[in-house]
Formats: sequence, C-alpha cells, structure tokens
Amino acid sequence: MKLNQLVFKSMLKNIKHYYLYFFALIFSVTLYFSFVTLQYNDSVLQTAANSGSAAAGLKAATYILYFIVLFFVLYANHLFMKRRSKEIGLYQLIGMTKGLIIRLVALENIVLFAGAVLVGMVFGFLSSRLFAMVLLKVLEQDTVVAMTFSIEAVKQTLLLFAILLAVILVQMAFMIRRVSLLSLFTASKQADERVKRFSPLKMMMGAIGIGLISYGYYASTQLFSEDVATDLFLNMLIILATTIGGTFFVFRFSIAFVLNLVRMKKNGHLSPVDVLALTPIMHRMKGNAKSLTLITVLTAVSLAITTLSYISYYSADEKAFSTSPTDYTLYEDNGKEFLAALDMEGIAYDAVELRLQKVEFSLEELVAEHMKNNELWNMDMEIYAVPLSDYIKRYPGLKLAENEAIITGYNNVLSEMIPLQLGNVTMKAEGQSYPVEVIEVKDEYLLGNIVVGVGGGPVLIVKDALFEQLAQHKGISVWHKQTSISLHDQGDLARAEMLYKETNAYHNEFYTADKNGELQLKTRNQVSKEKSRVDYISVMGVTIFTTAFLGLAFLLATGSILYFKQMTEAEEEREAYTILRKIGFSQQEILRGIYMKQAFNFGLPLAIGLLHSYFAVKSGWFLFGSELVTPLLITMGLYIVMYIIFALLSISYYKKVIKESL
Amino acid sequence: MSILIGRKIKKTYGKKQMAYEVLKGIDLEVEKGEFVGIMGSSGSGKTTLLNVLCSIDRVTEGLVEIDGQQLQKMKERDLAKFRRDQLGFIFQDYNLLDTLTVKENILLPLSITKIPKAAAEARFAELVKILMIEDIANKYPNEISGGQKQRTSAARALISNPSIVFADEPTGALDSKSATALLSNLVNINEQKNVTIMMVTHDAVAASFCSRVLFLKDGQLYTELYKGEKNRNDFFQQILHTQSVLGGDGHEA
Repeated sequence: MKLNQLVFKSMLKNIKHYYLYFFALIFSVTLYFSFVTLQYNDSVLQTAANSGSAAAGLKAATYILYFIVLFFVLYANHLFMKRRSKEIGLYQLIGMTKGLIIRLVALENIVLFAGAVLVGMVFGFLSSRLFAMVLLKVLEQDTVVAMTFSIEAVKQTLLLFAILLAVILVQMAFMIRRVSLLSLFTASKQADERVKRFSPLKMMMGAIGIGLISYGYYASTQLFSEDVATDLFLNMLIILATTIGGTFFVFRFSIAFVLNLVRMKKNGHLSPVDVLALTPIMHRMKGNAKSLTLITVLTAVSLAITTLSYISYYSADEKAFSTSPTDYTLYEDNGKEFLAALDMEGIAYDAVELRLQKVEFSLEELVAEHMKNNELWNMDMEIYAVPLSDYIKRYPGLKLAENEAIITGYNNVLSEMIPLQLGNVTMKAEGQSYPVEVIEVKDEYLLGNIVVGVGGGPVLIVKDALFEQLAQHKGISVWHKQTSISLHDQGDLARAEMLYKETNAYHNEFYTADKNGELQLKTRNQVSKEKSRVDYISVMGVTIFTTAFLGLAFLLATGSILYFKQMTEAEEEREAYTILRKIGFSQQEILRGIYMKQAFNFGLPLAIGLLHSYFAVKSGWFLFGSELVTPLLITMGLYIVMYIIFALLSISYYKKVIKESL
Repeated sequence: MSILIGRKIKKTYGKKQMAYEVLKGIDLEVEKGEFVGIMGSSGSGKTTLLNVLCSIDRVTEGLVEIDGQQLQKMKERDLAKFRRDQLGFIFQDYNLLDTLTVKENILLPLSITKIPKAAAEARFAELVKILMIEDIANKYPNEISGGQKQRTSAARALISNPSIVFADEPTGALDSKSATALLSNLVNINEQKNVTIMMVTHDAVAASFCSRVLFLKDGQLYTELYKGEKNRNDFFQQILHTQSVLGGDGHEA
C-alpha cells in the first residue's frame, strides 16, 4: 500500500475521531472568513467610513480574532494528537520511522485543513451576510445588504490558515518526536495526575488562593475611590495579578481542598454522586488547573468587554439626555425662527423657560472629610443656579424653605467618584457670599451640555427670592435663559430635526472676556437630543459590534474547549463506568453523577468568570455609560445559556460512553 | 437447594453467515454454599459463560436463574439492581477505581443502598479483618500491592452479602504467594459465611481450592470433578490429569 493510500484509509476509518478536530477547524475558518469578508462588504464599508476609527478597529479585531483561532486550533490539535497516541504508537511498532509517521500525519493534516478551509469559507460567506445585517441594524442603517464575495478576503484567510497549518505541523512533529514508543501508548493516561495525598501545605495554598481573589475583588471596588486613585495603573496591575493568581490557586488547590474536607467527613461512605463527580474532579484538578484558569480568565475578560461595550450602546439614550435633556434646547433669545417654523408646520410642542445665573461654589464643603484637599480634582467650580419656580415646571413637587437648596444633575462619573453629602455651602458671586443649605442631591438632567459640560454636571436649585439676589450679578453669567422644547409627538422628530438645522437654532454666540479683559466672540453648538443619539451610535456602533463579535468568538472557543476536555475525560473514565455498571450501578445512577460533574465543570469556570467580570465591570462601568444592571444581566444571561448548551452537549456524549461501557 | 440454574445456554456472536457460536448449549446447577471452578483452555468460552451467568452479558438462547429469578425476564435497570444486591464480582485486573481509597472502593456497592452507616461499618470491619487489609483502608489502589488490590476487590464483592460471588481469573495477575493467600481467604469465607462462589480459572492450583470443577471445551461442558473427601493435593493431581486429557484431545487429532 502506498503512503497516500494509507493516509486516506486511516482517515476514513478514523472519521469519528476527526469529527471533533474537523469541526473545530471549520468553525474557526467560518468565524474568521466571515469577519474578514464583512470588512470588504460595500454597505459596511460605506457605513464604517462615517464612523471615524471603524476601519482601524475592525483591523485590530481581526488580529485578536486570529489569536483566538490560533489558540483554539492549537488546543484542539493537541487533544486530537493525544487521542491518537495509540494509533501512532502502532505505526511505530510495525516499523515506521518517526519521520515517516510525521509525514503521514502531516499529509492528513493538510487534507483536513484544505477541506475545513473550503467548507468554512462557504459557511463564512453565508454567515457574513448575517453579521453584516446585524452590524447595520446596530448602526440603525436600513440598507439592504448585498452578498459580496471578496477575493481579497479569500487571499487573507488562505494566507493566515496556511501559517496556522505550519504552526500545527510543527506542534504535531514536536509531539511525535518528543515521546517514546512506550509513552505513546500511555499518553492519554499520563497527562492527568493519578492519585496523590493532600498535604497540609496544599490546603494552606488553597486558603491563600481564596484570600487572593477576595483581596483582588476588594481592591477593585476601591479602584476609583480617591485615596488610591493616584496609583491607578499600579492598582489595576495588582488587581489583575491577585485575581488571576488567585484563580489558579483556587483551581489548583482550593477546590481539591474543599472537596477533600467534604470527603474526609464522609469517612469512606460515599454516595454515587461523590464517586462520579467529587473524586474525579478532585484528582484531575492538577492537570486541569492551568487550562481552567485560562478559560476562566478569558471568559471573564470577554464577558467584561462585551458588557462594557453593551453598556455604552445601551447608554446612547442616556448620553443624549445629558446632551439635551429635552428634544431641543435653546438659549437666550436664540431659536425664535425655529419655534416659528414649528408652529408653521403645525408641530405641537411644549416650551419651558428656565432662568440661569452663574455662581462660584466649592464642592469641598459637601464631600466627606477624608476626600478634602484632593490633588486629583479641583473642587472649586462654576455652577448655574435655577429658581425653584422654573424648576418645578420641569420636575414638579419640590418645596424649599428659606435658605434651602438642592443640587440636581449630579450623576455618572462625578457622582461615583465624588459622592456628595448634604450640608451648608456658600455660593459666591463678585465677592459676595450667599450661604444655603443643600437638602437633597438629585440626578435629573435639566440643562443642556453647553452650559453644564459634556456628560452633565451639577445645577443648584434655589428659592426665587434668593435667585433674584443672585441675578444682580448678571454680568458674570454667560447664560441667562434656557428654553427646553419637547415635542408632543415623536413622529414629528424627523421634520423638526430638519427645521432645527435649517434655522441654525443650534448655533449660539456669546461674548466672554479673555485674560486681558477684552471681549471675545465665542460660539457653541447645542446638538439636539436625537442627533446626539444618532451620532453616538454611529461612532460607537462599529466598536460595539466588533467587541460583541470577539466576545462571541471567545465564548464559543472556551465553551468548545471545555466540551472537548469533557469528551476526553469521558473516554478516560470509560473503564470506571464499566466497573460501576458491572457491580450494579444502573446507567441512570451513573448519569446522575455526571450531571453533577458537568454542573461543576462548566459551572465553576463560568461562575468564577462571571464574578471576575462583575467586579471588573463594577469598578469602572460609569466611564462607559449610565446603565449597569440591564446590560450586565443580558450579557451574563447569554453566556450562561451558551454554557448550558455546551454542558448539555457533553452530557449527551457521556450518555453515549456510559451506554457503550458494558 | 440450587442457587444458580443454567438451562441450554447458547451464546452466538456476530450475524448470520458470520455467526460464531461460543456456547453451544450448557446445562448446569450450583448448590448454595458451593465453591465451583470453571476450567478450560483459551477460547473454550469460560469467561463468556461467566458473563452470561452473572447478567453482564445476555444469552442468545436458554435461560439463567439465580435465587429463583430468571435473568432473561428482567429489564436493564432491574438487572443492575439485582447485580448490586445479589451478586459479587472479583475480576482479574481488580477493577478498582483509582480515585477512591481502599475503604471507599469496598463500600462502593453500598453507596446506592439504604443500609445504615453503622451496619455498613460493621460489615466492613469484619471483612477487612478476614482479608487482612485493615491497615491499608485509607490508601489508594496505586499505593498497594496486587495481592492487596485483589483482596480489596474481594471485600467489595462481599460487602453487600451477595447470594453468589463470581470471580473471573482472580489470581491471574498475582504471584503464587498472594494467589494462595487470596484463595485461602475465599475458602474461609465460603466455609464460614456459607457464600456461594463461582470462579473461572485456567490455573490448576487455583482450581484445586474449589469443591467442584467444571471443564469446558469448545463451548460445551466436557466433564466435572468433585473434591469430596480428597485433600487438596490429590484433587490438584486429578485436575492436572483431566486437563491433559482435555488438551490432548484437540481438533487436529
């Protein structure tokens, strides 16, 4: 028989073994090719051109994706080779040289790769349209997506998978060269530690692992609190090191430690679940610790990134609110033409006038003792006051006594970093002081962003009488009046947007004194709420889509690896199932233990990953958006569902193995 | 009283033209408290016979009855329960779970039953005493010798007070000293606790510990020997003799 015939024959015979590896390859090609094709899709190109850094972002994402694919395929190949150790040992036994075996396996791999790349490209081409549609949907573009076949994408994919093939071949040759004939036969057994006793030292390490993670979590909640914020970068490194190191310790020692305690308590009287889940997990922890740590960290990172980008997307409305609290915001006497045009078009709206007066004010009086004298934040600020009677036109119900005031518009980053306390403050204007007592701090948006700054800022609400006094200092105030326009019917939005633009109502001019005391003409554009939202989405959309895509790739890769691992474990434990069935365990009883084992194998990396990402997101989410709970729950829910699917897959594999075991 | 009855047991592997008949109609009965050996050369079907008798495999034709219950009529799940409650197993390669300690391995069959802990503990203490493995109870299988492993396996077979114990080449992987120790232990248990034992072996020394030995040849029962009042050495000679007759009467002759 010629070499190529042998290759072909053994491939056909081993198709069942290949299936896992082949699937992994196809999946990688599909993901990669569809992502690359996406970048050459005309509709996507056009849209992406509008949103600045999109092209660069997509490019960077391609590299990350390639890294995921590389890591995933290398892992799958490693498992695959381990499984085939017997076959390779047999070739050696019948007298083939290692060189010949390497050539043989290399030939197989080339055939497999060629097949996988071909199939993967077909799937990738089909799925790229789906991804393009999702992307344009995210960007709120109603274009019809055409299927485009890009030669450039094919070239790129072929090149990268050729490189990957070379890497795989090196890995394979290395694996075959390294092992002796004897160890080839026992490779699948060797890999995982057989039974060892649990020493006090290991138990201590286990406790340290839990300690490290707890510290990392604690430190992450303190990350942006003022006393440590100065060493932000160093602190982030420490948190990363403690949580990742702690995760490894937990997998390597803590789990076995805790399980060992449970086991010792049973004094030999184990339940079937203990036999099938607890003891194998305990004894495999050494071999599995590294890969589980990696999977957990990858899960946590991808989950955190996906959540943060989803938070940004989800916060588009909120951002728009902070830019313009109502549909349109007009200043001074600007925008009369706009209102007239609205009337002309018969568009109904409400207009609320708010009087404004600038005062000086120091946040320092309202922060906790230990936060005063902070070097990072300048607590002295200029702030606008609004009279109560105007304020209640927007937010009714507030009552203030003499010399009382509230602060509103205090939200997001500022409120997370510098929480305010209630108390007395002194407003200053042209050297005069006006003391008030702040009785409440709220987070409503009231003034447009050209008054309070990007992202919103605090506003003082004072009694009308006090406002009259403050208004004597009209001269220092840039803005004196804001008119908040809300349309009755959001259906008129499109027309109103046109009018807003045509009438130049967004354009505000004012004079301000420079440092020489000369008046300078300055302009500020007040974007409408709708335009702010649309701009935001078109800038963030591509980033969000890309991170979501990468998150999905990470999720599928880690899930598949866990599944592959379980497939291998099931094969290795086949013997144990035979024994158990012989001595009278029914398939159902064995399966009950397997359910537990799967709950553990998938649940633990997921649970720890979720916890990690929760603390990661919690520590800095407010920099990305204004809504934490919903995006967090949705992304976490998605991850949980996907992991459950992988767990079910592996259970069905176990079912098969158990059924065949007797 | 017969505890195990086999009638016209046939076992065929493969389909139609490729069919290969391993057991060609075997009748046998085992009395309560007997220590029965099954001998025969490789390929004579002794392990297959043991497997169908102990419900691990199913017969193609014929019937097997243990303690009055017909195995053919039972469902997969009931069979498992039956094995757990009524049967004990000792295998050549020990079949201990590597991840469990000796004690955990021995108590394994009780893990699904509702036997109170104290009762299980008492049985365990009694068995490890008889089998002399008290001091290794907390060791893992990879830390003990082959003889100790096989005695552990024997203890596991006996922990559920089975009505019959099946042993498939229990001494196959042991040195002669450990083998003798194990077999003496089995004889002790057979006599003291009146446990029925059925053992497959190709070793005449091992077979000489039995009270009766069945000889299998090409899927059929060839002959059987009773130990009776003979001492072990005489019985051993008699077994050797029968074996040589059996071996000299091959296909080619």
